[in-house]
Amino acid sequence: MADYKDNEIILNVQHLQKAYGKHQVLKDISFEVHKGKVMTVIGPSGGGKSTMLRCINLLEDPTGGEILFHDQNILDENYNIPRYRSKVGMVFQQFELFENKNVLQNCMIGQELVLKRSKEEAKKIALENLKTVGMDPYIDAKPRQLSGGQKQRVAIARAISMNPEILLFDEPTSALDPEMVGEVLETMKKLAKTGLTMIVVTHEMAFAKEVSDQVLFMSDGYVAEHGSPDEIFNHPQSEKTQKFLANFRGPQI
Amino acid sequence: MKKHSSWISALMAAVMTLVLAVSWSQPAQASGTLKIGMEANYAPYNWTQTTSANGAVKIDGTSSYANGYDVKIAKIIAKKLGKKVIVEKTQWDGLLPALTSGKIDLIIAGMSPTAERRKAINFTSPYRTTNFVVIVNKQSKYAKAKYLTNFKGAKLTAQQGTLHYDLIKQLPGAKREPASKDFAAMRESLEAGTIDGYVAEDTELTSFQMMDSNITGVNLSKMKGFKVSSSDAEVSIGVKKGNDQLLSQVNKVLAGISTSERNKLMKEAVQQQPQTSTKKENWLVSMLKNYGQMILEGIGMTLLISLVGTIAGFFIGLLVGIVRTIPEPKNKFKKGLLAFCKWLLSVYVEIFRGTPMMVQAAVIYYGIAQFWHINLNRTVAALIIVSINTGAYLAEVIRGGIISTPKGQFEAASALGMTHNQRMWSIILPQAIRNCLPSITNEFIVNIKDTSVLSIISVSELFFVGSTIASQSFQFFQTYLVISVIYLFLTFTITRIFNLIEKHIEGPENYNMMVNQVQVGKQEGDK
Ligand SMILES: Nc1ncnc2c1ncn2[C@@H]1O[C@H](COP(=O)(O)OP(=O)(O)O)[C@@H](O)[C@H]1O
Ligand SMILES: [Mg+2]
Repeated sequence: MADYKDNEIILNVQHLQKAYGKHQVLKDISFEVHKGKVMTVIGPSGGGKSTMLRCINLLEDPTGGEILFHDQNILDENYNIPRYRSKVGMVFQQFELFENKNVLQNCMIGQELVLKRSKEEAKKIALENLKTVGMDPYIDAKPRQLSGGQKQRVAIARAISMNPEILLFDEPTSALDPEMVGEVLETMKKLAKTGLTMIVVTHEMAFAKEVSDQVLFMSDGYVAEHGSPDEIFNHPQSEKTQKFLANFRGPQI
Repeated sequence: MKKHSSWISALMAAVMTLVLAVSWSQPAQASGTLKIGMEANYAPYNWTQTTSANGAVKIDGTSSYANGYDVKIAKIIAKKLGKKVIVEKTQWDGLLPALTSGKIDLIIAGMSPTAERRKAINFTSPYRTTNFVVIVNKQSKYAKAKYLTNFKGAKLTAQQGTLHYDLIKQLPGAKREPASKDFAAMRESLEAGTIDGYVAEDTELTSFQMMDSNITGVNLSKMKGFKVSSSDAEVSIGVKKGNDQLLSQVNKVLAGISTSERNKLMKEAVQQQPQTSTKKENWLVSMLKNYGQMILEGIGMTLLISLVGTIAGFFIGLLVGIVRTIPEPKNKFKKGLLAFCKWLLSVYVEIFRGTPMMVQAAVIYYGIAQFWHINLNRTVAALIIVSINTGAYLAEVIRGGIISTPKGQFEAASALGMTHNQRMWSIILPQAIRNCLPSITNEFIVNIKDTSVLSIISVSELFFVGSTIASQSFQFFQTYLVISVIYLFLTFTITRIFNLIEKHIEGPENYNMMVNQVQVGKQEGDK
């Protein structure tokens, strides 16, 4: 079986730190993300998972460490941040669709303004991706007219319309009613199969187990454990991981 | 960037307006004209009429005419000097500032040359000498007064800022009521019985008697112990200090007008002054017939100023709101520059929100003329004042709108790689402005009502027109009732229009399913 590590490294995070004032949220985070592979991040709430994702696309300024994108340090002063961000998509827990735009415009605006695509091209790509997520019948709808699951699917279409090299998901199903979780997870599985590189913060263990190539267990600002889904879910080494998974399974079943 | 250039053009437009305003204005002493300041609301000296009958002179900036003793004198002076009379209708309190700031050449407004006024301006020799009277109802016990002491206990008033008001002090025991704004208001009070009488000149008595035969006057000038300096019994023409050439020219002309000719002119004026309509006619019909045109112009002016002021103010507010929400740049120099800009803008907002618009109007209109010798057209001045004032209010409203747009909208836009400008223009501002629309509507409504304070610089908006009509028709209640109904109609209509605009921006309630593109229902867990 070919190891996922055979693929080229797109993103290399080394000793990442983030502090809010005296509050050290990320203490030492290191991992590598390989092209076309899926990394899931699990761990207790408040462990710094969101903060880590936000550091990766610079919604937060890291206070230490390095983030290398294709071997280039994105924290360099002269690094072109908007260009970088256009290659690193993000799907938020609360969807964050643009309230003043309809579904189609949500998927076109970034392409037009950032990638400078023509209107026709942007529309074509947006429609393709909306079709992929099953939201093409709703192109005229405004975000407030959609359900949570529908919004999240549009948000995914918006992100992939930018043809990102990596797509970050921050608990994409946590704000959804249970019956809508499935449709979003299905969409994400579909994306994973197309060979899109993804980092997914999630509490959906079954999904993590099925889809990921590597799993990161984060706790208290550290990477407590890191390995294949089999290693993490079936043979967890760290006590913290064992405890977390045990607690997790308890109420779930 | 496309969006930016539209900004620049908005800015250019603002600058152009200013440049135009400056170029429109001409210095008061422009060779061929003689600008005369008067209330045009002080019959028989001066009043406003709607036609050019009896040799009336057009009032600058309106389609109304001024006539009266002052206008007749002004025409004689202008003729002798070979100039054309231009009447600048100006509120009483605005006459001195208008003269000293160079907006008018002469005050011919039935004004007495008091020592106090002499400190600010020069006066010519008198163009009329008057008797002072207390105007009372015929059956009043004060109607038979023989001595100054007979007015003990009488509730008396006089026009604000005039000598008449000081004269009440010479009547022992008389109760000096708060000064009144104009004669029309005092006539009303006398008829209503809220005062026993008011001090005025004999001409006021003559003209009032033509309308109300129940009125009489007690001549104070003939009473023992009544002291009026000769200059106070006289009315003179005000000339700006230092303008000695004009002063001597006017004096020369006045010397050539004999007492009998003066009396003749005054008698004409008293006869020609506007009369209240014959009682038979419906007051509304007669008001619309006599003043309909003036009212329409007043509405037009009010709408123009409040609309342009709100739109220009919106753009100013937008600009200020945007600058004040620019994130801190990393570069030290830019950081300092931005901080300085933000400080300047907050000073602007504080000053214009923290002072009454009426005061701003007076300071800007008269101040600019006095210190920079720029004679702003008063409509342009009004537009600028209302715009700047509205801008200060809307700057805060828009800043609030920007700040209260959910943080997630900024972040989602950032995550797509948008720059700060792109985020602002395509995501944040449309939402912020949408959320501010009710406040902007509100500001427009406020402006419609608040343009009334511009009467301080004699802009003939609706309220100014209303007070002119009220003073001349003596139908206070009716006039202001009509005016308030008009205001209500304007504000109500505008509110509706803006509600429709809001709805339009909101878009349709429902969306159309693009059913033809793909079969629906595959993933439809939700309705
Ligand atoms: N802007 C912030 N200022 C201060 N503390 C923050 C901020 N954002 C997050 N934190 C803190 O960082 C810690 C990690 O938060 P987060 O990354 O959201 O955890 P997770 O996503 O794993 O639940 C929490 O203790 C949280 O209170
Ligand atoms: Mg989180």
